[in-house]
Amino acid sequence: MTDRLTTHASPGRRHSFWSNVAAVAYKEASVIRHDKALLATVFAQPVMMLLLFGLALSNKPANVKWIVLDRNQSAVSRRLIQEVQSTGYFLPPQPVWSYDEGRQLLKNASALVFLIIPQNFRRDIERGQPRVQLLVDGSDPLSAARVAGYIGQVASTFATRPGVITAQVPGAPAVLPVPIDLRQRFWFNPTLLDRKFFLAALAGMLLTNLCLSATSGGLVAERESGTYEQMLALPTTPLEIVIGKLVPFVGLSYAVFFFSILAAGFFFGMWPQGSWLALLLVTLPFVLASLGIGVFVSTLAHTSAQAVFITVFFILPSFVLSGSMFPYQLMPHGVREVGALFPLRWYQIALRRIVERGGGFTDVAGPILALVILFGVILAGISWRMKPRLG
Amino acid sequence: MSAPIIRAQGLTKRFGDFTAVDNLSIEVAPGSIFAFLGANGSGKSTTIRMLIGLLRPTAGRIEVDGIDVIQRPRKVRDHIGYMGQKVSLYRGLSLRENVEFYAGLYGLAEAELERSWGALRERFSLGSAEKEKTEDLPAGIRQRAGLALSILHQPRVVFLDEPTAGVDVHNRGLFWELIQDEAQAGVTVFVTTHFLEEVDYCDWVCFIDAGRLIANAEPEALRQRYSYGYRVDVDVTPDERARAAALLGGAGGAVEHTGDGLQVSVPALDPQVLTMLDRFVEAYPRARVHIEQAQMTDIFRRVLAQAAA
Amino acid sequence: MNWRRLRTLMRREALATFRDPFTLTILVTVPLVALLLFGYVLSTEVKGLALGVLDNNGTSASRRLVAELAAKGTFDAHRYTTREALEGALVSGAISAAIIIPPDFDRDLRAAASGRDLPQIQLIYDGGEAVLAGNAEGFLRGLISATVAGLVADETPQVAGARPAALLPAAVPPRASGIEVVTRSVFNPKLDGTPFMVAGTFGFVLSFLTVLITAVSIVTEKLTGTFEQLQVTPATSMEILLGKLLPLGAVFAFDVVLMVLVAGFLLRVWPVGSALFFVIVSSFYVFVSLALGLIISATSATTAEAVQKSVLFSIPLVQLSGFAFPIRSMPTVVQWLTEVFPATHYIRISRAIYIRGEGPLSLLPEIALLALFAVVLMTYALRTIEARQ
Repeated sequence: MTDRLTTHASPGRRHSFWSNVAAVAYKEASVIRHDKALLATVFAQPVMMLLLFGLALSNKPANVKWIVLDRNQSAVSRRLIQEVQSTGYFLPPQPVWSYDEGRQLLKNASALVFLIIPQNFRRDIERGQPRVQLLVDGSDPLSAARVAGYIGQVASTFATRPGVITAQVPGAPAVLPVPIDLRQRFWFNPTLLDRKFFLAALAGMLLTNLCLSATSGGLVAERESGTYEQMLALPTTPLEIVIGKLVPFVGLSYAVFFFSILAAGFFFGMWPQGSWLALLLVTLPFVLASLGIGVFVSTLAHTSAQAVFITVFFILPSFVLSGSMFPYQLMPHGVREVGALFPLRWYQIALRRIVERGGGFTDVAGPILALVILFGVILAGISWRMKPRLG
Repeated sequence: MSAPIIRAQGLTKRFGDFTAVDNLSIEVAPGSIFAFLGANGSGKSTTIRMLIGLLRPTAGRIEVDGIDVIQRPRKVRDHIGYMGQKVSLYRGLSLRENVEFYAGLYGLAEAELERSWGALRERFSLGSAEKEKTEDLPAGIRQRAGLALSILHQPRVVFLDEPTAGVDVHNRGLFWELIQDEAQAGVTVFVTTHFLEEVDYCDWVCFIDAGRLIANAEPEALRQRYSYGYRVDVDVTPDERARAAALLGGAGGAVEHTGDGLQVSVPALDPQVLTMLDRFVEAYPRARVHIEQAQMTDIFRRVLAQAAA
Repeated sequence: MNWRRLRTLMRREALATFRDPFTLTILVTVPLVALLLFGYVLSTEVKGLALGVLDNNGTSASRRLVAELAAKGTFDAHRYTTREALEGALVSGAISAAIIIPPDFDRDLRAAASGRDLPQIQLIYDGGEAVLAGNAEGFLRGLISATVAGLVADETPQVAGARPAALLPAAVPPRASGIEVVTRSVFNPKLDGTPFMVAGTFGFVLSFLTVLITAVSIVTEKLTGTFEQLQVTPATSMEILLGKLLPLGAVFAFDVVLMVLVAGFLLRVWPVGSALFFVIVSSFYVFVSLALGLIISATSATTAEAVQKSVLFSIPLVQLSGFAFPIRSMPTVVQWLTEVFPATHYIRISRAIYIRGEGPLSLLPEIALLALFAVVLMTYALRTIEARQ
């Protein structure tokens, strides 16, 4: 075996490197075409994730169930209720007639927030010290905090004297500071602009999934079925084999990439604002790094079941820590840095810069560099793992 | 024969448009070794799976040890043993633990198990392998272990699906000895295989091709019908040839002259032929006698050819 | 049901599982990693958020503002001298948000103390990164205006009275607009997100991991032929089913206990309700997932296929079950769809016990529904074992 390797390394055979690679690539492509599980990943998953992130998943409150105890029952109290309702986040309020009744509904999660308007509300407004009470269901703190914020926003800009125009705060609603002591852990929802946020990084998530599971699963399956050994017996070097295997996946990756960009554009109007070319360019090192990780995982796993497990449970932290689903800037310091080890982190940074902000080549230079470095490290890892076996 | 212990009538299995087994009818005598032969994809495995109740036939009737397999597949399980193509030993367990596992499933009492397994361990030379993890066992031992497990509960009928696939020639021979021992003891063995030469170990053989039965007889009968039977080559000096030829001719076949000596084909090695050979050897003690039987592969090919015609 | 056969099957399953170091590792590390990821990473308070500051005022007042903002550790303040530098830092991601203190800030502060409007701090963030929108931005505004209001209050000693500077417009003299909202929370007074995510993580792990492991385990058995062999033995389908699921169920029940302990000791989140009740209900849900895993394995020819199917099936299940994204925010049609997932109901139960401390009585309807799921899925799973096509 070693002899064969050294012979192949000799310059005389160099000229057939690319033709060997091409031959392996062609064979791989045919294999892929018949691999149902892989094709499912390639076709079904992007569509599913697109539907999920584009249509279904969102953190923006909607259809919020709320209850009101209006002890004042005046025009102004009704106006307050009306103004809250008109923010559009709420379902029509359910009126209750006692504090206990409302509290009970909160306790069994039949409502998210409970607004209590005191008896002297109208008088308080005339005196200039209006105050209402809001009880929230803390068992859903994400939504509770946001909704409390919206109500606070409405309350803070409530025109207490007709004719007085108060400066509205444009843009996203603000959380009016509330006696929930801000010094303590005020949890706020790190998942934000929902659809746009997710869709921008969608390509990254899909590619991570594709590159990792396809390569690791495929390589290990080959090793199991013995065709890998068979290939080693052919007059191609292992390097040519591995590269040849990865080439079709680069092609597939770009196909998936185009799909996500185009789909996000056609269906959700999210077209990249910036340079398409830069996008294409940064995709390459990312795909290579991800494929590299897949290859590395295949060297760790003994059976294909193991390979698939490892990749699936690598993909999960990758999605979470990279900033594709949850902004990484809002994560604790140490964790933030760990996320930088994932190629997806850099790719989604580049994606967001170009898609959301309209960036160009200069904006992706940093991520490209980071990805290339990561790729180098991964390659080193692979060759370290493969040495004992080929030596 | 006495009442057949396995009886299949009009057995048919269709998967959509594809007919895997077409109107198959066989009868297996108790205590016999029944070989079920065919190429890959001919319907062998489908048939055996129907016989043991793993697969429901599209049409036909099956009776095993008096039990209607289609109506009561569960009932038949106590009466049969099975060894599949992939020898089903559980990974991560030792051979002994596998034995205890199957014993538990078949409800073998402790004493019974010791008796049965003790004997099998002896006969099948599995003593050293008992404590080993099954994934560490070499192929030959795995096959024997698989066979032992399938007869652990002493069933009357044993179904073996390609039991010698992937086993070297030496171990294959050992394996067939064990099978023949079982048959001697009264166990009916139903074997599928695509190693044609193994047919000669069996009492009955049937060939299946493209889902249809194309031969169903004793190996000898097939040999007689589809081949020259046995070829006897003798080495005699030229001057001895004439007399030798006359002697050999007494067996009934035409005697030919070959380069080295004489050759005669006989349909079977029946007593008449054997007597003749005895006399020949007496008369020519220094002559070399070589008897060759027709290869099953040739026989099979001829059967196939005839079926196609 | 033959007890000896069942015991034999269960024993084998347990032996095989416990001797497989890889599966054991997965069974222990994945739930822990998931807990840490979702419970800790996504729920902790914000610390060290990079905030760019362009101080056009440069007085002690403005410096105090920045100091107060940075005091709690929520922000890391980075100073810039020009707007271009500030915006460049935003775009490059060096900072996540930026404030611009107007040139007359200190004078505006004093003016506000005598009843005029609070000084305006401009808060900008990079729309391209779009990180700080919605509640987060609100938080920033709130914090900033609170801090400013506090500073104003300090300038007006006669009103500052009893309230500490960190609290707000209540400390400021009555103004023309705005209603004060006194907010309290029933359950989880600090609105801590960790228990919410922890309770949901149980749902995630018990849905995803359970289905995955079961499907792979069964497909592997089918591939080695042992499953077929089982079907030829006297073991009934029910015995085979239970022999597989009971040991696996026990392993996952152990996982649940492990997770409860880790969440308790590491994340300091303990169930408000009965931990025992929680473990029991969770074990029950495990069976639902196990049945699902079995059904998936029945339709898969290779382990890779089983995993792909499990993943393809589990991911929407988890995303749509209310684990991380509120169901009420989904389109109505999708909301109805989520009710079909067992995971949705389990996560509801999980949160009810963990955060609201609800007991068996009030959760009866949801548990009954889970029971229904279990029965239906088990029946279907049983049919797939019968195997006679």
